[in-house]
Amino acid sequence: MTAAVDASTDLKAEARTAAPVGTLRQHVRPLMPIITTLLSVGVVLVLWSLSSAYAWVSPVFLPSPLKVLRALSTLSTTGYVDSTLFQHAGASLSRVFAALVASVAIAVPVGIAIAASPVGRGILDPVVEFLRPLPPLAYLPLVIIWFGIGEPSKVLVISLAMIPPIAISTASGVRSASQSQINAARSFGASRLQVLRHVLLPSALPAILTGIRIALGTGWSTLVAAELVAASRGLGFMIQSAAQFLVTDVVIAGILVISALAFVFEAALRLAEYFFVPWSRHR
Amino acid sequence: MTELLLHDLSLAYEKRLGFGRVERTPVLDRVSLSLSSGEFIAVLGRSGSGKTSLLNIAAGFLRPTAGRVTIGGRDVLGPGADRAVVFQDDALFAWLSVRDNVAFPLRLNGSPEAERRLRAEELLALVDLEGLGHKAIWELSGGQRQRVGIARALAARPDFLLMDEPLGALDAMTRERMQELLLAIWSKSGTGALLITHSVEEALFVGTRVIVLASDPGRIVTSQHSDFGRRFLSGEGARAIKADPAFIAAREALITAIHGTDLQVAA
Repeated sequence: MTAAVDASTDLKAEARTAAPVGTLRQHVRPLMPIITTLLSVGVVLVLWSLSSAYAWVSPVFLPSPLKVLRALSTLSTTGYVDSTLFQHAGASLSRVFAALVASVAIAVPVGIAIAASPVGRGILDPVVEFLRPLPPLAYLPLVIIWFGIGEPSKVLVISLAMIPPIAISTASGVRSASQSQINAARSFGASRLQVLRHVLLPSALPAILTGIRIALGTGWSTLVAAELVAASRGLGFMIQSAAQFLVTDVVIAGILVISALAFVFEAALRLAEYFFVPWSRHR
Repeated sequence: MTELLLHDLSLAYEKRLGFGRVERTPVLDRVSLSLSSGEFIAVLGRSGSGKTSLLNIAAGFLRPTAGRVTIGGRDVLGPGADRAVVFQDDALFAWLSVRDNVAFPLRLNGSPEAERRLRAEELLALVDLEGLGHKAIWELSGGQRQRVGIARALAARPDFLLMDEPLGALDAMTRERMQELLLAIWSKSGTGALLITHSVEEALFVGTRVIVLASDPGRIVTSQHSDFGRRFLSGEGARAIKADPAFIAAREALITAIHGTDLQVAA
């Protein structure tokens, strides 16, 4: 009799602890970041639609989301200023990509030299620190005077903006190798070059990838400046041409495409980090 | 039989104060020590007695202010593959698998891939880590990491194994098990071993010779033979050895010797 009563109260207690609300919360919790992101993007889109629907802002300044979508589709088919969206994006992509390759090829050895040798630091650190705070628009005229208005000048302007973050990250990554790791390699008979190849470079790899991520942000923001002068194709060029005639939907479409491309680069680099430097997650 | 000879080593750090004035901090004062293959020297001493400096000089990372280091009569001027070092903070390479860490010294000397694999497996078996070669470093426990560090040091068959408090960061149970393993590895590999440690019990148990360094500046005050490790290797239980009155008496005498280095300074 008493046993039966006990069992029923036990069941009630179990029902209380395993309440459906609790399990729902448990399932929702890991999704919270995605839900909040979707919500915040949704709110922006709704406010944007409302502002054009009720004409809070003149459509010349802020066209409706639908109009921007339509602009994207006409850009893809008929294009704008003699090139389709894909040609503009292709031109910009190849500039940013060429600048990425060039700046990695220059900045990684520079960063190693700064971290690994006092002489290298003495020579190169001032150069990097001189370049780092300069706005690309400031040296753009000089680059054009020196190297002309062709494609190399545009790539050079973007590269100059991308070199300092990669060089600085590489240097700090090389310094992150512990003295005992370096000494271990030396005690196994490693030469200076072998220490560099087998200890310093792998230690620096996570920092190099972070540097590239930062540099790509800088690279995309420099793109518009680089395409200011004598370009006939490119997303930055497209945006500026459209802006001069107040074709605001094309301007916004261009901005969205740049942001989407930058997002793809960022995602690719995070994937690269995940697969190539798994140890940096386990410190 | 090779011999690593530390001859009359002195070390002082000099700090320039400007205007030609130099402040000298003596670290080691005329320390002489010989380590033969097949020997296991344990070095005890308080913090600041220059134990680690002594090991760094023997390894070739640090140049003494005075004195010489020789191996088989030849001067040693830098680090070399004949003396492998095991560090307190394992110093493993996180970007390499356990197997590649162990085989790292062989990669440096250009051994072929097949030989590296074979030697790595052999060494992993020696340190009781069979079948873990494919693991990543961060998947291992502290004790396992130190065993990888020891296996890596032995890979290129060095004549001498220099260990700087390799068991210092381990919990007590793991530490005792590692001391037994260390003895077994040392007797199988036939190297000359030098172990820096804070633990008197550990020094007595693993060392064939125990040395006490006094502080300020570091100098050898006690050097005594110990055969407790050999007793363990010939089959006696580790706990039985450590509970033996002879072991306890030797341990207390060493503790007194280390404290004595303090009293001398006070007097």
